[in-house]
Amino acid sequence: MWRKLYAWLEDRLGLEEIYKATLDRPEPKGNWWNTLGSASLFLFLLQGVTGIFLTVYYTPSPDHAYDSIQYIMNDVAFGWLIRGIHHWGSTLMVIVVFVHMVRVFVTASYKYPRELTWIFGVGLLLLTLGMGFTGYLLPWNQRSYWATEVGTRIAGSVPLIGDSILRVLRGGPDLSALTLQRFFSGHIWIIPALLAAVIGVHLYLVMRHGESHFPDKDD
Amino acid sequence: MNEETKKKINQKYEHKLAHGERFWPDSLYKDAVVALGIFLLLILLATFVGVPGEPKADPSDATYVPRPEWYFLFLFKFLAIYGQIPVLGRIEWIAAVLIPGIFLIVLTLLPFIEKKPDRHYSKRVLPISVMGIFVVSVVTLTLIADHPLKWDAQYRLTSLLQVISGLIIPTAAYLLLFLFSFLLKDQRASQGMVLTAGLSGVLMVGLTASVLFLAPVPEVEEVFVANTLPDRVVAGQDLYSIHCVECHGDDGSVTVIEGVEGLDGTVTSPISGMDVLYTFTDATIANIITYGQQDLGMPPFGKAAGGELSVSEIDYIVTFMRYSWDDRFEMPEIPELFPPLAEGEVPSYEVHIAPIAKRFCISCHREGKDNNNYLMTSYDEIIHSGDSAPNLVAGDAESILLKVIQEQNILDENGEEIIGVMPPKSVLKPDVVDVWVRWVMAGMPETVDGAAALSDIVEPVER
Repeated sequence: MWRKLYAWLEDRLGLEEIYKATLDRPEPKGNWWNTLGSASLFLFLLQGVTGIFLTVYYTPSPDHAYDSIQYIMNDVAFGWLIRGIHHWGSTLMVIVVFVHMVRVFVTASYKYPRELTWIFGVGLLLLTLGMGFTGYLLPWNQRSYWATEVGTRIAGSVPLIGDSILRVLRGGPDLSALTLQRFFSGHIWIIPALLAAVIGVHLYLVMRHGESHFPDKDD
Repeated sequence: MNEETKKKINQKYEHKLAHGERFWPDSLYKDAVVALGIFLLLILLATFVGVPGEPKADPSDATYVPRPEWYFLFLFKFLAIYGQIPVLGRIEWIAAVLIPGIFLIVLTLLPFIEKKPDRHYSKRVLPISVMGIFVVSVVTLTLIADHPLKWDAQYRLTSLLQVISGLIIPTAAYLLLFLFSFLLKDQRASQGMVLTAGLSGVLMVGLTASVLFLAPVPEVEEVFVANTLPDRVVAGQDLYSIHCVECHGDDGSVTVIEGVEGLDGTVTSPISGMDVLYTFTDATIANIITYGQQDLGMPPFGKAAGGELSVSEIDYIVTFMRYSWDDRFEMPEIPELFPPLAEGEVPSYEVHIAPIAKRFCISCHREGKDNNNYLMTSYDEIIHSGDSAPNLVAGDAESILLKVIQEQNILDENGEEIIGVMPPKSVLKPDVVDVWVRWVMAGMPETVDGAAALSDIVEPVER
């Protein structure tokens, strides 16, 4: 019965091929430092799941953002846990992605044939920082408000186009409801969409070229 | 890179694959262990550390010291240190945009900058030294991010150390590294670079440690944040008792203001009535408190309009009004103002008197009010301040304060009233009066321990 069902599915989905292409791959002898990439991916997914839960109650408006988070923390069942994981997950994700970058640098894994993997990886590091920057404003508390105030001001110090950048980031000359709205949009749609796309390319490249081996004296 | 090198690299990789492991299950097993560890760590952090409370954003509060998210702190600190350079330091975008921009471009294009196929660290001394100094800089700058960078006597030394560790050493080290790599050959170049990187790393860590050790981070004033509903209601009631009671009365029912300088006889709507509570939203009430209604005589209370209350504090007051007076809201269970006293137990300032004074007295007995200079915001003030001081004498049941709170006013020789009964428009409950009397008679202890030493408890009350 099960075998029949499996054969039916296999005929239509090509499970064997998928298995061969994704899971049943040879790899050089691994080492625990090689888990940092998958740990980053795990954190990305975890942030995605907890973030989706948070949007159920969160309201991106200056009048209600703070109160909606108070509500999540005090009144929603396990809201404190979901928010706590999301809060600490962001910190951990920045650390893990950064250490992953340093690891790849030290073992020089970005050299032929993995140059593009590295370039997309730098993009992922920047997008991760972008997630941190946009997400920090959302609780609309003193800390986040003033951090964004100073952060966008620094971005506005670019010569010539600084003022335009500042206006694009803030949605006007000052931090306002518009800023919160567009940081929210950036945090839950724009940057995650980019992240997911770049992660896809990054993973494809990792599979195509395989994990690099740990360099020995001859390399 | 020529085809031959590429072929060699690919052959070597094939060889490694042949002697390696399988992605499933060997690698995935390790990945799963790490993922599980991360998940557990996050649950522990969320449960036992939690997310620190913060007051609501207050765009009008210019006194707030802005501070970015921790992983941008190193850049923030670098900017601050860079700003100390004469002349050049004024051009902020060099440090804020140009230097990070160059760094990012180099990082992105790294595979095309470091073109040699060598991978072993012994053949990559320069890149690893550059990255090593960068990582040490990021970590040390993050660690000292909160230490003040000032040139007055107290902080001069540590500020200098910060500039050396955060700017001078890394710059000098980078210059030396590139100098060695261009001027010296093979073995000697490597030695020079390893020495430079190692020495500067040790120096930066050492200087950072001494900054951390020598310069205490100035204590940031803890802002009280009420997180739960009962906490918010209590915080709101305390603030209401200080800022609103004078005109609106402790139950919000006042219609004609009495005994308030400049506002005597002003007509006001009873703010605890349903006319107000049903038709005004929380935002409207918060706006009225923030900006006042100056044609009607109400001054502004919000920082945005020159008052002293923050956005969060005004929110607490609105919450208190809603849950206390609006009949559509059910009052949550509120902790008592002070723990009840057992027979023979002596109350202390910190547990009993301070909250009582805050609730019933500070509204008038603080700076800027008409109160014969008797202030009650701290232990010392309660005992020593005032034109008629001492208002309290340990062990004296005839102390002025004890008399006035028990409805006996103080008269001068001619029978004229000097001090009226307190509080002027209400009567303290017997248990509150009892706390005052016991406290004064026992010797006015400040701390819980001091009070416990004086206590002679007959039978503990059930809590």
